[in-house]
Amino acid sequence: MTFVVGENCIQCKDTACVEVCPVDCFYEGPNFLVINPDECIDCEDCVPVCPENAIYSEDDLPVEQKVFLKLNAELAEIWPNITEKKDPLPEAAKWSGVKDKLKYLER
Amino acid sequence: MGLSNNLTQLAAVMANQEKFQVSEKAQAFLASVQKGKYKREIITGLGKFLDNNVPEEMQGFYSKSELQSLVDLRGTTQDVESRMPVKITRHYFELAKTSAAIQTLVKASPKETYDLEGAPDPGNQMDYSPVEGLIHKYELGLIYVASTCSAHCRFCYREELIAKKDVARPDGTIAPKGLAQIPDIVNYILKHNKEVAANGGRHPETGREKLREILMSGGDPMVLGNNNIAEWWSALADAGIESIRLGTKELAFYPDRFDETFFDMVDKFHEAYPSTQIRLMVHFNHPDEFLVKDAEGNYIDDPDGGLEWVPSTKRSIKELGKREWISIDNQAPIIKGINGDPDALRIMQRELRRNRVENHYFFCGRDIIGHKAFNLPIEEVWRILNESQKGLSGVESHARLSITHYRGKTEVAAVTNEPLAGIPGTENGFVVLKLLRGAADAPDRGKVSIVGRNPEAIWFSGYDDRVIFDEAGLFTHVGEKQNFTPLLQQA
Repeated sequence: MTFVVGENCIQCKDTACVEVCPVDCFYEGPNFLVINPDECIDCEDCVPVCPENAIYSEDDLPVEQKVFLKLNAELAEIWPNITEKKDPLPEAAKWSGVKDKLKYLER
Repeated sequence: MGLSNNLTQLAAVMANQEKFQVSEKAQAFLASVQKGKYKREIITGLGKFLDNNVPEEMQGFYSKSELQSLVDLRGTTQDVESRMPVKITRHYFELAKTSAAIQTLVKASPKETYDLEGAPDPGNQMDYSPVEGLIHKYELGLIYVASTCSAHCRFCYREELIAKKDVARPDGTIAPKGLAQIPDIVNYILKHNKEVAANGGRHPETGREKLREILMSGGDPMVLGNNNIAEWWSALADAGIESIRLGTKELAFYPDRFDETFFDMVDKFHEAYPSTQIRLMVHFNHPDEFLVKDAEGNYIDDPDGGLEWVPSTKRSIKELGKREWISIDNQAPIIKGINGDPDALRIMQRELRRNRVENHYFFCGRDIIGHKAFNLPIEEVWRILNESQKGLSGVESHARLSITHYRGKTEVAAVTNEPLAGIPGTENGFVVLKLLRGAADAPDRGKVSIVGRNPEAIWFSGYDDRVIFDEAGLFTHVGEKQNFTPLLQQA
């Protein structure tokens, strides 16, 4: 199993998760973070710290977000590792809770 | 916990982080650490088995009726997954296929929640926690650095941490146990050791000596990446810690974690900090966890002597054993249906010692929530271990049987079949308990308690009514100190 970053992260990228991850398994793109499923150890520590409630256990991933499972695995192979917290994106507040953000995902 | 409390804590943590400086030596060491690639292939949760969403070979690990009996408990107070999450690696599954003992160890069972009696915080650890994630109960400090393992033992005595349950603290607040943070722990060590030094070698309030040893626990620290482990080790060594213990079951769950990148980190750590000892506390319950079996289920003679090991486990143990500044000790509880078997334990002690692993402690099960499903009677455990050590040489049989009392670590030293002439209460024989380490300072080390036998007793409370001699004070607190109200159980 793994935890998966879902669409609430897009355009927000708070990075609180990065700081608590004991295995440094987050990878960073321009406006989204992903979890490397091979490195995630299922500790769940990142779930409560995400202000956007963007992180799900693979089993609890909403049906309409199933695509994020594959997306996390795929992008974790390409994007650089992120291990230190930084500021959220400048317009994070504006994008918080906005639906259907997948179309804004930048690679 | 209130918001203001949270903010105060946050402010304290931030102040610490500002103060904590990674030394130049540590920075150079950390820059050299490589990241490993692991393939644990973990399955978490019964849901995966229910939905058949596991590799084909793993389907059927739980039978339909086993799954049904567990699903029926979901959402009730008897829910086994909220007591302890279900988790297994592929490697451990492969071992479990041919081992009833391992299946009992790792498979959830409805029996676990038939009786939920037990302590929400076994050992009353929160009474000894000056900093979040640190337990300073004995002469060493224990830190929680991870809240999960690669797989989960059903009998885990840290189920409250793994399952992230709320635990009451001495100040009245209720929250899940948190993990240790490097700046907090380093600051605590420095402050404690400074106060000890200024007071002639003993802490003015607690009487404790200098902190020389830290035990990294959890959860399993080996789930952390090499860089995280390296950060802890260098920070602890820089803070003056002489021995770093690391408690792990990863040699059983995922021995490939001990790969080249790990040993590269380990060797570079030793170059940077040559006088810091690493003490690996490993956890094997049963020889099925590391020995190869033939088609009939028998262990196989190794032409070079002893028995044949699982190759990945053997390689990892050998690599660890090559490094003389790493010691390896095994400690394990003796649990119903898993290793209450003198023959298995005899083989295990012999094989471990042959491969440079010292047999340190065996434990009686603790009074965790649901302990009645796991604990064998104390006197039975003593008999099993004693039988297992018949036929072992002196160096192979170093392990003692310990049971953790709220006052400290206690040895079950002897169980007799004969009465002590003229002493009432010993008609059916008696049990000798000896305090090995007292909580806080150690003035009571070596003190003894003697109780009349109770073959049914699975915890100290089973002897409340038959105490004969209590020099160690093991029975002065029973009933008063233990909190058996399962008020913090999860719905």
